[in-house]
Amino acid sequence: MGVWAVIKLSDVSVVYRKGEENEKCALKNATLQISQGDFVIIVGPNGAGKSTLMKVLLCELAPTVGTYYLNGKSMRGFSVTQVARWVGRVFQDPNSGIFPDLSILENLSIASKKGVRWLRFRSCPQKAVSLLSLLGLGLEKNLNTRAGDLSGGQKQALAMIMAIISDPKVLLLDEHTASLDPKSSVKVMELTRQINEQFGITVVMITHNMPFAEQYGNRKWKIEEGEVYEYEYRPPVCLTRSENPFPLVGDQRRCAPKCV
Amino acid sequence: MLGIVEQGLILGLMSIGVFISFRIVNMADLTVDGTFALGGALCVRLFSLGLNAPVSLLLSLLAGAGAGILTGFLHRKLKINVLLAGILVMTMLYSINLRIMNGPNLPIPKTSVSASLGTFEQVAGKDPLADLFEPSAPVAAPQKEIAKHRTFENIFLGTADGQDLLLLSAIVLICVALTGLFLRTELGTALRGFGTNPSGLESFGLPKTLMTLLGLGLANAFVSLSGGIFALYSGFADVTMGQGMIVTGLAVVMLGEILFVRRKLVYGIFAPILGGIVYQGILAVVMRYGYRIGFRASDMKLLTALFIVAVIGFGLIQTKKRMKGKFRLSTIFGGGVGRD
Repeated sequence: MGVWAVIKLSDVSVVYRKGEENEKCALKNATLQISQGDFVIIVGPNGAGKSTLMKVLLCELAPTVGTYYLNGKSMRGFSVTQVARWVGRVFQDPNSGIFPDLSILENLSIASKKGVRWLRFRSCPQKAVSLLSLLGLGLEKNLNTRAGDLSGGQKQALAMIMAIISDPKVLLLDEHTASLDPKSSVKVMELTRQINEQFGITVVMITHNMPFAEQYGNRKWKIEEGEVYEYEYRPPVCLTRSENPFPLVGDQRRCAPKCV
Repeated sequence: MLGIVEQGLILGLMSIGVFISFRIVNMADLTVDGTFALGGALCVRLFSLGLNAPVSLLLSLLAGAGAGILTGFLHRKLKINVLLAGILVMTMLYSINLRIMNGPNLPIPKTSVSASLGTFEQVAGKDPLADLFEPSAPVAAPQKEIAKHRTFENIFLGTADGQDLLLLSAIVLICVALTGLFLRTELGTALRGFGTNPSGLESFGLPKTLMTLLGLGLANAFVSLSGGIFALYSGFADVTMGQGMIVTGLAVVMLGEILFVRRKLVYGIFAPILGGIVYQGILAVVMRYGYRIGFRASDMKLLTALFIVAVIGFGLIQTKKRMKGKFRLSTIFGGGVGRD
């Protein structure tokens, strides 16, 4: 090992309606470790516990038993908004990750900060705009476009850029390509790969799209009836510091030195 | 004529509050009815206790913000539906307002108004709602006479030059400017983002509760301020003065949006002001000539509510045509309106 574990679940179980007749164990004694730079793909049938795992990682749900460590710190008692400092997320609905009534620039300006903000006038976050230009969608030229007027793929791409602007440790993706057409999904997946490989951001992704699950990611997990199995492992792909073409993103984005 | 614009400005100021809760925070906040009367009651009470008018207005503004924050708290922390939370606080405020005024209404004591104001009694003697809802022909005539030394300016600045309009415009302009500036700050942008996607904001570290309290507090601060100004302007506060204000405010906001297409945010805030003045104008015309078709003053609320229904209905038809949402009233009617 030696690589810093970003996420660690030790013996985590989640039981819904505990003590009642229809009690359901959604996650059973999950003990997992995700290292920095990993790209984890999670597959599994509906109701297997994928979303429960995601909720635990987002602190929307506290584990019934066990502890969730993020960055080596126990997250017990942390709220969604507190965890948001380290975790970025993009969900299935393209409108859930962006603010549809605001312009692209305003969206970026909200995303470029985490936590409480005050009465400073919003400035154009230069880093955000340069990240946006990476997409190659031409969004950076139309910063005053209403975000709700973008296409589904563009919205998801914008949502992912917004999720990574402020240096999260982990990016959680819950079927983020599910509502997109095949062409847009591939584009969004390529962006996901880019985020993982070039910026070294740890990605945890749920998908039902098996071709994507095979093509992407270095660790593959399967969840069945609340139990997590790892069925494939490859060392993560990352760039070294000198190869990073986007120095704006900052040094901490690099993978740990021991990463291959 | 002047009276219409002045009352329109006061109504517009109140509608900024409705605009903030309905359009920016996207919550149907019914506290407004109670807060408007709270602003009036507290302002007149504080004024008659010897505080000067600006301070009384400021304190009633803070009280209004407090009422909004209470609604937000009930909604977020006790998980009460925002409509019910608003109604609960509104009901609480009814009793509180009666306590504040120690009765159903409270005139500004004559002694606290300077001697130059001989006509004050004429104003104070009227029904408090007369100015807002019944500027009919018989009332219009004495209004002109009083216009030279209106009470509001006298109370506010201690002078009597009949420059109510100027003073009210200045207050409203300052409020609009401050709101416009606020909505351009980081916090203001986040508040607007909250209105379109509350859960999305959480992933950027801003709790829903904080934004709800901020939005509803701000909205009700404006309503309360406007209630205070209205009470000072018309000479007294009444416990029923806020009745139906939410509907009037919403109608004003919609009227403003129809007249003033919201392309930029700055105009969006001006829309309620313009809507308020136009609403008062329409009201005056309807009151003046409406009797010919058998119209009564008491029919106005029916008309106002029907106007809102018509605007929403028309908006829906438009939406279906263009498949593009314009009116965000999903909080009331459940489900988005043709959002892409």
